[in-house]
Amino acid sequence: MRVLKTYPFNYFVGIKSLEELVTKDDKVCVINILGNESKKVTPVSHEYSGGNIVAGVQYGKSGKLETKIGDIPVYPSVKKVIEAGHKFTIGVIYLPPAAVFQAVSELLIYNDELKKIVILTEKISVKDSREIRAICQEAGVDVIGGNCLGVANVWDHVRVGGALAGDKPEETLIKGSIAIHSNSGNFTTTIAEYLKTAGFGTSTVVSSGKDVYIHFAVPEFLYAAENDPRTKAVVLYVEPGGYYEKMALDMIQEGKLKFTKPIVVCVTGRWKKNVQRACGHAGALAGSGDDAESKEKWFDDYFGVGVFDPHNPVVSEKGVRVSSIQIIPEAMKYIFEKLKIKPDFNPIGDLSLKLWLSDKFITPPADLNIPVVRAIPPYDQQIKEMNKLVGAQYLRQNMRNKSGASRMNPENDVSELHGKSILELSKHTIEENIYFALAKVMPEKNDIPTINLLLNLFLKMDKSRMDIVKIGKDNAASPNAYIGSLLCLIGNKKLLEKARQHARFIIDLIREHEIDEDTKFYPPEIRQIILEQLLTNENQQESEVSKILYKEITKSTKKCTALQMCQYIIKLAEDNNLYIKDTYEFLLASVCVCILWKPMMEKRITKQLVEDSLSYFYVLARIYAYSCIHPENNKFWQKLTDTELISNLNASFTENAFKILFNREPTEQELFEFKTLIGLTITNGPGTLSVKGAKESVSARNHISMAFVGFLTNTGFAHGGNGFEAVEFLYNKFKEFNLNDPGNQNHSINLKEIANKATLEYAEYKKKEKELGLLNYKKIPCINHPVFKGNDVNIDPREQFVSLELKNRNIYNIFLDFYHTLVWELYNEGVTKNVFCVNVDAVLAVITLKLVWKDLQEGKISLKDVQDIVFTLFLYGRCIGVAAEIADHRDRGQDMDCRTPQSEIQFVL
Amino acid sequence: MQISGMRYGVELLKLVDYPVPDILLATATPEDLQALLNKYKKIVVKPVFTGGVGKKGKAGLIKIVDNVPDALKAKKELYFAEHTYNSKTITANGVTFEGYIPAEMEVYFSITESTIFRRPIFTISTFGGVDIESTDENQKRVIDIHPLTGLKSFDITNALTELNCPEEFISPLVQHLPKLWELYNNYGLTTVELNPIRMAREKGKIIPYACDFKAAFDIDNPSWKRLGLPETVSRTQMTPFETEINQLRTYQGQSDVLELNPEGKIIPFMFGGGASSAATEILGSYAIFSSDFGGNPPYEKMYEIAKIVFKHWYDKADVLLIIGGKANNTDIYLTFKGIFDALRDHIAKHGKKPIYTVIGRGGPNLIKGMFYAKDILDTLKLPYKIFGYDTSMILTLEYAKKICDWWMNEGKKEYAQKFELTNN
Repeated sequence: MRVLKTYPFNYFVGIKSLEELVTKDDKVCVINILGNESKKVTPVSHEYSGGNIVAGVQYGKSGKLETKIGDIPVYPSVKKVIEAGHKFTIGVIYLPPAAVFQAVSELLIYNDELKKIVILTEKISVKDSREIRAICQEAGVDVIGGNCLGVANVWDHVRVGGALAGDKPEETLIKGSIAIHSNSGNFTTTIAEYLKTAGFGTSTVVSSGKDVYIHFAVPEFLYAAENDPRTKAVVLYVEPGGYYEKMALDMIQEGKLKFTKPIVVCVTGRWKKNVQRACGHAGALAGSGDDAESKEKWFDDYFGVGVFDPHNPVVSEKGVRVSSIQIIPEAMKYIFEKLKIKPDFNPIGDLSLKLWLSDKFITPPADLNIPVVRAIPPYDQQIKEMNKLVGAQYLRQNMRNKSGASRMNPENDVSELHGKSILELSKHTIEENIYFALAKVMPEKNDIPTINLLLNLFLKMDKSRMDIVKIGKDNAASPNAYIGSLLCLIGNKKLLEKARQHARFIIDLIREHEIDEDTKFYPPEIRQIILEQLLTNENQQESEVSKILYKEITKSTKKCTALQMCQYIIKLAEDNNLYIKDTYEFLLASVCVCILWKPMMEKRITKQLVEDSLSYFYVLARIYAYSCIHPENNKFWQKLTDTELISNLNASFTENAFKILFNREPTEQELFEFKTLIGLTITNGPGTLSVKGAKESVSARNHISMAFVGFLTNTGFAHGGNGFEAVEFLYNKFKEFNLNDPGNQNHSINLKEIANKATLEYAEYKKKEKELGLLNYKKIPCINHPVFKGNDVNIDPREQFVSLELKNRNIYNIFLDFYHTLVWELYNEGVTKNVFCVNVDAVLAVITLKLVWKDLQEGKISLKDVQDIVFTLFLYGRCIGVAAEIADHRDRGQDMDCRTPQSEIQFVL
Repeated sequence: MQISGMRYGVELLKLVDYPVPDILLATATPEDLQALLNKYKKIVVKPVFTGGVGKKGKAGLIKIVDNVPDALKAKKELYFAEHTYNSKTITANGVTFEGYIPAEMEVYFSITESTIFRRPIFTISTFGGVDIESTDENQKRVIDIHPLTGLKSFDITNALTELNCPEEFISPLVQHLPKLWELYNNYGLTTVELNPIRMAREKGKIIPYACDFKAAFDIDNPSWKRLGLPETVSRTQMTPFETEINQLRTYQGQSDVLELNPEGKIIPFMFGGGASSAATEILGSYAIFSSDFGGNPPYEKMYEIAKIVFKHWYDKADVLLIIGGKANNTDIYLTFKGIFDALRDHIAKHGKKPIYTVIGRGGPNLIKGMFYAKDILDTLKLPYKIFGYDTSMILTLEYAKKICDWWMNEGKKEYAQKFELTNN
């Protein structure tokens, strides 16, 4: 078979000089131009090169790629590019490995003017690689790559291929006399950077790749470098595998290849010899003859000198080998001196250790204790700006039908909030869960009384507001409606806005001056800023609550930067006989910032959330405050909401919530059940109506209070209030019995009999409905589940978890017992094909009924009240999860992102 | 991936109809063995190794028997035979019983890729059965193969003629050897070696039996998967850490993670092939593993990788090192976020242990990434030094080693006292 040959090679080499490897005259077509990598990299290459890309290909699509100097048209195939009249000499391929060969074929078939192909793709199969070489050799087309990061002609300001020298190539690629050929993409750039420190720029830079077949390898590179008048020396970065370098050196020494310029070479990879597994493509085939040690010897023999020693520098005119890339500049400098050639320019920078950022925790010994230096521009300015930023940073995106807060775990179908399952959350108190919903971590023990303080504080209110609630109740408004009506009026009240501003002030003051826990003395400008912006002569009204908050802050010994700053501010005011503007709001903000400081610094939560945190505590507390069923009869509620009574603010908010709803002190058992119930309701994933309502309200850019209203609006008798159905079902089954205490296991009620009766009644009902052709008949609430079904005996693991918890604490619930009996009766009577599970909703229903049973029996509350209680219990739990969703959407979402696109809308006749 | 021996060699060769002796596996019954003996008179018993075996040689690892008790005895001796090469010892797991082929001549034949010819080559020698590298140059021929037209009969004929191969052997070799190209080219091989091919006379015909087989596969060519080899063959001996982390291997920009020294003290996140190579060389036994996490991995992947790394090594390491040059397109912020979120979460779950962080990196979103790391380390009160890309990577690596020495011997204790950490 005839083979194209280019003297002195046995194969075709089209590139005669590095000058022509890529030029200003070369036009480029990029294949897979709209792929993830190319989309980012190609515009940079195009702009850097002055617009050398004439077209791109994206199979099956047309379009354009935007760049700062004009759009690049995109066609569905190379054929279409040619038909559109575009001419190009270089094809760049970004495709996945399996597609590269056919793209090469396509380029060769349709473009007669093609001269070069640059393949960026890594991990092309060896077979494809050799076949690519074969067809390109026959066509007389040079190939650079695979696994090439790019090629740059620095003098002509042209870059073709990948992200060689990064997103600002002009910073790294400075005109000079050194050509680089590197098996490592990243080191191609790094070596160019390093050369600057000895005053050397680059002429042409090639990332060759390190596959088995390197199509533009050292022999042809040296040949082209010799013919390039701009290049005075070359740098090679070589890894094990392949005889390319040996071939080149043999050809030079045999006189077949003329090469007169010095080489600085770095050979790495000695350690790979001891590794048995393949290290990269070439490594897989590297035998003993082309390993790192062999390559070192090839070059040492060629140079006639050993490896370069900076302490005793010896080089030859042919060049020298170095042991690591950082020594390349120095070795090059000595070679140029030996050849009496001047470097390209004055050295730029140096490679010494330059510490940009360091800790302050511990001082290493003197030889390791390097001082922090100013970073090179523009990074120095960026560091200054970054010092001010704090907290988690999110990229905003469309958050419709998405959540970073909750999910349904696909493995077990249990909902999770911030990675904790509702089963786990049901073991925690309301105050702990509220904090967790915001901070994404459970509170430290010492912070719990403070959280209670905030929540209990915001229970206090002007009771006349409940007149509005009464109007609602008289109109049979449901709890979500009458609570929501009052939340609407919160807006962004002054208290909340001022507290937000104070929180921002505290955080910015700390960050802008780089204060941390170990800062012993604040810089004088802090004092000045506080005096000017925060303190005043005007007497600020001091309330009893302010005193409590003041004490909370000043007496705390918690190690926290924010706390220290707040204490400093307070002391500064006192020392100067001044007052803090809006003292009450400042104190509230201080408390919030202090308890949320750590998760913010750990980047779990955003600065915005910390600034907004008071609003969340306020609104959540108010939901509980407004929820009382009969406030006029509830002495507990009256005390808790009384603004004059401010003792015991650190008491458990969970206990207070119980008192508000049930109008009595909870027993230990009842508290446990209450806590469990609330925890289980916190979330059911982001797809629920309640969460959607909140998210959509955020999407419309409402205040936090209105976002909670969105949540409330989207609950109702089918969602949130539907729990009453089960309660009513159970109540009807048990009301005729003389059941004093549903928690007493020693009852005399025959559950099997009740269950059997219910079974037969249901079977009859079902039969009648079916006969009437009504297939949407009512199901028995709280049994069966779309996921936990199909086995002989089915179990809802969530219900099982809770049942076990109750059992371990010797907490009996007759209604739960009844449900477990019922599912067996349904099976025994042939109504169901297998034993249905008792699902987790049953737990909610049975606990609720047990908690209200006595009052219901005694006539203290009506069934209607029970309905409201059930609904309210749902709101108690769900509002906690919704707080997390609101915060999440405010952090990550975009305005109007919850709008449904027109394409998803259908018109129905 | 490499395979060695006739255990699977026979299956591959049968695919292309290349002559092979009958073989039995370790599960063969005495009756099976007797039947084999009846046919071949002798049996060759060989241990089965998984993966590559280097240059095995003949001594000690092959037994030729002529009766069943000896065959069973050989099985017992060779079943878990050990073989050492390149300072590594591997253990067999099984044996094959191969029909003995009496030979009039032994031939060596292989196909592999050649960076000298820049295309595949075949090597053939009429002095088979020995290590080909020890064979004289005039006793072997190396001929390049055109990738598109393949291995041609005339090339084999010419080579054998030049080697003075007896004429009667040329035709059968020419008939069968091209089939190996079919195997090589269509199933993603990068090496196939038959050594020896034993030229046997049967019923007046000469048949070139393959009596040993070695193959290496291109892991990036999925064609080999069509061979239906069991997973154990492709599974090289990986440590639990390697197994877990290499499941996250993508096809672009990242190579396998390699556990180097489980007693090492530095957890090295390396970015870029060059950085990986240089770092591995300089860190030596300090490095627990070698890696290359470049190629702009997304946040989730980086987080999962880091999570696995910390799970295995956080408790043992003294230094966390992140090293790479000036990245071309890897987002430094996203990669750092992935690593430090995983560190934060690991500590939150498992508790804190003093570790020193050294970073030397450059690239897009550099300062944002550095500050992300700084903020998390500040909050965790863990010490760190962060160098820009204008520092020599090599100096950063040397510094990391020195910090590691100091931290291990003194720094950790001083830190623990200062922060009143208890020993876990």
